[in-house]
Amino acid sequence: MKKLLNNWIVQVLLFLSLLGLTAYGSQMINDIIPPYFLMIAFFIGINLIMALGLNLITGVTGQLSLGHAAFMSIGAYSSAIATVNYDLPFLLGVLIGGLIASVFGVIIGFPTLRLTGDYLAIATLGFAEIVRVQFTNMKITNGAIGFLGIEGSTTFPIVMTIAVLTICLMVWLENSRNGRAMLAIREDEVASSAVGINTTLYKIQAFAIGAFCAGVGGALFAHTTTFIQPTDFGFQKSVDILSIVVLGGLGSIPGTIIGAIVLTAAPEILRPLSNYRMIVYGLLLVVIMIFRPYGLMGGVNLRQALRRAMMFPKKKQAGREE
Amino acid sequence: MSLLTLDNVTIRFGGLTAVDTVNLEINQGEILALIGPNGAGKSTVFNLITSIYQPTEGTISLAGKSLVRIPTHKIAEMGITRTFQTIRLFSELSVLDNVKIGAHCRGKAGLFQAFTRLPGMKREEAEIEEKAIKALEFLDLATKCEEMAKNLSYGEQRRLEIARALVSKPKLLLLDEPAAGMNPQEKVVLMEMIRRIRDTGITIFLVEHDMKLVMGISERIAVLDYGKLIAEGTPLEVRSNNAVIEAYLGSGKFKSRIRR
Repeated sequence: MKKLLNNWIVQVLLFLSLLGLTAYGSQMINDIIPPYFLMIAFFIGINLIMALGLNLITGVTGQLSLGHAAFMSIGAYSSAIATVNYDLPFLLGVLIGGLIASVFGVIIGFPTLRLTGDYLAIATLGFAEIVRVQFTNMKITNGAIGFLGIEGSTTFPIVMTIAVLTICLMVWLENSRNGRAMLAIREDEVASSAVGINTTLYKIQAFAIGAFCAGVGGALFAHTTTFIQPTDFGFQKSVDILSIVVLGGLGSIPGTIIGAIVLTAAPEILRPLSNYRMIVYGLLLVVIMIFRPYGLMGGVNLRQALRRAMMFPKKKQAGREE
Repeated sequence: MSLLTLDNVTIRFGGLTAVDTVNLEINQGEILALIGPNGAGKSTVFNLITSIYQPTEGTISLAGKSLVRIPTHKIAEMGITRTFQTIRLFSELSVLDNVKIGAHCRGKAGLFQAFTRLPGMKREEAEIEEKAIKALEFLDLATKCEEMAKNLSYGEQRRLEIARALVSKPKLLLLDEPAAGMNPQEKVVLMEMIRRIRDTGITIFLVEHDMKLVMGISERIAVLDYGKLIAEGTPLEVRSNNAVIEAYLGSGKFKSRIRR
């Protein structure tokens, strides 16, 4: 049984059936639940995709970025231009959005990677502002008025399938040689280069992949709301995504998933409170951070816990008997 | 045969000459210790070898290949790994992961392999894991595999740093004050361990303040004072060398210690 599971072809089939099941299941959900809840589920999926990207940059590689909304806006605008102005198919537009965002991830990566911590955060913040102002003044994006006439091609199965795909890719990445190198950079850069890790290369890789996720998320966002304007992608948006990652637990993929669900749903669930809504939302954030300072899933390593349970089951039992 | 050669190596930080025309040869398979008073430039020598600093003058070469202007991350690939004076572990990661990261420069898998998980990549992962567990067994840490590095005791953390440096099978291992903060018993264990590492064919170059340890294990000792190499030889020779005694204890006459 174990041997069969280790077979590559079996794994690919399992993976494809997982994606198929997700698509099928979300199609069923799509038909059942009311449109209002469906919309929340849409945004949970989109935020999750983007937050997983930021989790790779900030949580795994340890590079604090406050410019995630910029990558999102690049993905949103470029995919919108691709589908509206060039009549390209929707999914191709999403891919283009991700790729262009990822190119910008590399471009911003090179000059800023000499910076660390707060300085990097300020530089990425500045980059995000430049991008936003640029979109406000460009003709092709229709400036401050906003980009109209995008087709609402995003469907719930597409969002969910891409989200599950992103989760899988991120889990794989984290458990690979590249992922370990990125974690090492977060922990100690000097020691990383002493063991032979090319820190610049892996930081840029993290930025490129993270920006790709943000671009895809932005593209899906544009084709959900059918209308985008530069103010959609302000500093607030970057902070929203960062909150998801921090609240979930930096570097934790299950944490990011929980964070995306909680923080996307909370403002909607709190809607009956009307004017006090954002106060309670803020309070919720503060309370969670007081009781779980490392995030909801911070310090909980699911894989390690599982492995520990599987690797030394006998020893542990013996220990208990003594 | 000399493995590592320092040829007239000098580094200046502004007006301060931290390492001054040092000539040193490290022979294949020996244990060489570098000692000297605080601030003598010992750690700077290590940083020069690992390319963290670039020498102002002179060259450093490993088995004939120059190490000058080679980026730090390539040094490990060439066969030099090190530990740090202040412990620099990946503290939020497991002990096993720490050592696996140490094997980074011996792996090949890139992004494509990470995302496709083809059998070749899994074989490499299995190999890395096996190597890592072997290195941990060698340093008596195998039972702590799943522990987080920060939860280890001080002595264990020092050993983990050595395991991380060993897993890539280096030619030369640089130990920067491996015994710092250890109790006498741990030091005895450490000495034994260093000898065992040398017996696997790895050349060892260490900086250490603990004279008992230095005199006990090193075959040759080099003494650095104010960036200059003042003595070199067997422990016995160095112990009775006048310049060394003067550097450590003073000459008995009033003498300004400020460098002219």
